[in-house]
Amino acid sequence: MPLAGLLWLVLVSVATEASAFSVASFESRFDDQLLVVDARIDYSLSSTAIEALENGVDLVIVQRLGLERPRWWWRDVEVADQQRRYRLAYHAISRRYVLNRLASGESRSFRTLNALLMRLGEIEAWPVIGRDRLDPAHDYRLSLDTRLEVDALPRLLRTVAWTNADWQLSSETQSLEVRP
Amino acid sequence: MSWLPRQAIIRILLSVLLVLSLYLLSAATENSARFGRLYLWLLLINGVVLVVLSGLIINNLQRLVRSFRARETGSRLTLRLMALFVVLAVVPGLVVYGFSMQFLQRGVDSWFDVRIENALEDALTLSQASLDQRMRDMQQRLEEAAQELADVTPAMAPITLGDLRGRTGASELTLIGENGRIIAASSVDTDSILPHRPEESILLQLRQGRPYVGLDPIENAGLHIRALVRAPGPDGPGKTRILQGLFQVSPRINDLAAEVETAFSEYRELAYLRGPLKDSFSLTLSLVLLLSLLFAVWSAFYLARRLVAPVSRLAEGTRAMAAGEYGTQLPPAGNDELGFLVRSFNDMSRRVANVRDAARQSQALVESQRTYLETVLGRLSSGVLALAPDGTLRTYNQAAVEILSLPLEEGVGRPLSALVQRFPDLSPFVDHVDAHRRASEAEWRAELSLDTREGRRSLICSGAMLPGEGDEGGEVIVFDDVTTLIQAQRDAAWGEVARRLAHEIRNPLTPIQLSAERLQHKVAHRLSGDEAALLQRSTETIIHQVEAMKEMVQAFSEYARPPVLQPRTVDFNALVQEVVELYRGQSTGASISVELDDGLPGLQADPGRLRQLLNNLIRNALEADDAGDCQIVVSTRRGSGRHAQGVELDVQDNGPGLADAMLDQLFEPYVSTKTRGSGLGLAIVKKIVEEHNGTITARNVDGGARISVRLPGVVSDDAQWENA
Repeated sequence: MPLAGLLWLVLVSVATEASAFSVASFESRFDDQLLVVDARIDYSLSSTAIEALENGVDLVIVQRLGLERPRWWWRDVEVADQQRRYRLAYHAISRRYVLNRLASGESRSFRTLNALLMRLGEIEAWPVIGRDRLDPAHDYRLSLDTRLEVDALPRLLRTVAWTNADWQLSSETQSLEVRP
Repeated sequence: MSWLPRQAIIRILLSVLLVLSLYLLSAATENSARFGRLYLWLLLINGVVLVVLSGLIINNLQRLVRSFRARETGSRLTLRLMALFVVLAVVPGLVVYGFSMQFLQRGVDSWFDVRIENALEDALTLSQASLDQRMRDMQQRLEEAAQELADVTPAMAPITLGDLRGRTGASELTLIGENGRIIAASSVDTDSILPHRPEESILLQLRQGRPYVGLDPIENAGLHIRALVRAPGPDGPGKTRILQGLFQVSPRINDLAAEVETAFSEYRELAYLRGPLKDSFSLTLSLVLLLSLLFAVWSAFYLARRLVAPVSRLAEGTRAMAAGEYGTQLPPAGNDELGFLVRSFNDMSRRVANVRDAARQSQALVESQRTYLETVLGRLSSGVLALAPDGTLRTYNQAAVEILSLPLEEGVGRPLSALVQRFPDLSPFVDHVDAHRRASEAEWRAELSLDTREGRRSLICSGAMLPGEGDEGGEVIVFDDVTTLIQAQRDAAWGEVARRLAHEIRNPLTPIQLSAERLQHKVAHRLSGDEAALLQRSTETIIHQVEAMKEMVQAFSEYARPPVLQPRTVDFNALVQEVVELYRGQSTGASISVELDDGLPGLQADPGRLRQLLNNLIRNALEADDAGDCQIVVSTRRGSGRHAQGVELDVQDNGPGLADAMLDQLFEPYVSTKTRGSGLGLAIVKKIVEEHNGTITARNVDGGARISVRLPGVVSDDAQWENA
């Protein structure tokens, strides 16, 4: 019985994962000896998450960018691993949605949630690493993914979130070959 | 801790761990900050423990059901105790659980009061309303300021904006082009980052000719009012620009609004999380209760088993004792009453086992003594009979069976008179014994002769009362067969007589015969006719009689002569046939029938002597009946019992039988009922039989006499063989 439930959960989460967040485009370029990434991520929150947000629950969404040097004979070398964490909140008095980047503290508010999500999904010139730190003899692999951080939810919701597919929001990892 | 069993220590440890994890769980439920991540792990661990406990309980239940079905001892009691413990543990637990759940639901619901909710919403609406007023003022100001920008070129815009910002009290003014690009901006906060473009939807609204005003919460800067209005440009009405102003709300209003906002949103969050909160509390409570109950049930199994174990062991032990397995020892069971019971049982069992062992030993002793006595009695040549006080036969030995020639085993446990009914020959013996028993003599001796199947026997009996009262007493009778002894004495005497006779008589016989012949020879021709005839008759008579006497003397010397046997393997049946054929040839009018046993063992004997024996016996039988319709049966058979290696021969006639007075001396010389005969025939037969270590008996049967000879198969070494 619990096994069946777990299986169902996995299936459902797989099914919803595909529809929740997705990396629509993902490109890299060198901008003045600096490897930067442009990407577009489509975010669509489940109704459960939207309801929680409008009831004053803050959501945290993480974007993760990784750079690895693949090795066929051993584990890949992790060259860089960066995260951007955003908090989404609803401000009741102003009836606006606030997007707050947690590392820098900069915040913007939006009239609609969709506007906020559009803005969140636009990644322009995310600096990864200097060209001088890359070995031209090797190929590199960039990977990008994003997910809703369940651990940042209030604890009471967390237990529900761990067992509810509506909260298992994440994208599949997109990869990109890079030649220095 | 050594007095505690290992199982109990494990259980105590487990229960401590369980309590600890449950405490952490409830702490995590109440305080989200400290045990945030821990809660999930605790849930998981407790869940695992739950599954394990359930598994253990199911396993225990299965074991119990199995043992109950197999009707093992103690399973019923275990089941009853189990049920009792479980009911004691579960019912109060469930009652407490039910009430707790109710309190929890109601308690949580009571935090959320409708009035508080309404008040908070009203406060929010009030804040919004008061801010709306300010927002309209700011919009008004901004629209007035926008009119002043009509003639300002992009190059001049920053200066004009700075001026306008001072006048309007805005913290930031931005001029945006038709295309959405920022033309110029002025801000109080010089080191602030670039002002952002307004959202697309707001720009769209402005292009449609509607101004925008709204609140903008800015991180670390408090609440701002953002207003956007159309600003006519110098390029004419077609190229309308947009003026965006950001006005700071007064700190007091800002603080109040922030308070209201925080309170409202926290309350909303709490109300929203009410369901998960209740679920979480209920889950924790249920988990705590379920774990406690399961632990209690599991412990109930253990306790019930521990309590019942000594009892069921006692039951098993008792059953074993009842089945005769004495000496069963049970493992000790503590210092309580049960322990005392087990110790007492062990003592009892030990004692019973000791008693049993002693009984066995004494039984073995009695048995060995009995065996010893039986061996001694069995080897005794005297017959021994033991009689119970009531005269029934108790035991006997083999010698008694052989001497009396009776199947005494049939008489065991019955009075001797019962044997007399089946074997009348025994009556003289039994009469003697009964007479002495009635006289209650302590000891007695008697001599008597008895007809047995083996012939007439002389017995010397002695009886003695056994000591003891009631069943213990009785009588023992010892008797010896002295027939052969008496016989041997007589034989020796007769042998002596025969030797003397032969010696003394043979000497004068020849002179008498010679004298008579000479008398005849010398005197006959001198006498006249009558006298000569008288002499002739007289001398012939003398000579004949002397001849006869010589024959007699010859027979005597034969009888007295020591045996010279030439033994070899003899086919006894062939020998019998051969001798009988000789007699059949003579037409005496007698009929001789033969019954031969084909399974005779081999016989080592002197065939010449045996032929003589057969001759004598058949002739004797023929002479027994003068009537002429003489019928003789000669039969051979294999011996039985301890004579199985021997041969038995019966010669039976249909004559008048033997006189009782003669039976004792039948085989002695000069005992004859016949008018003719030397009286040595049967004496010689007996001698031949004895030379072959055999026995001979004679007895009367219905319509005649029967003489039985028994010869051993192999003649033993103590026979006097003389090698020719």
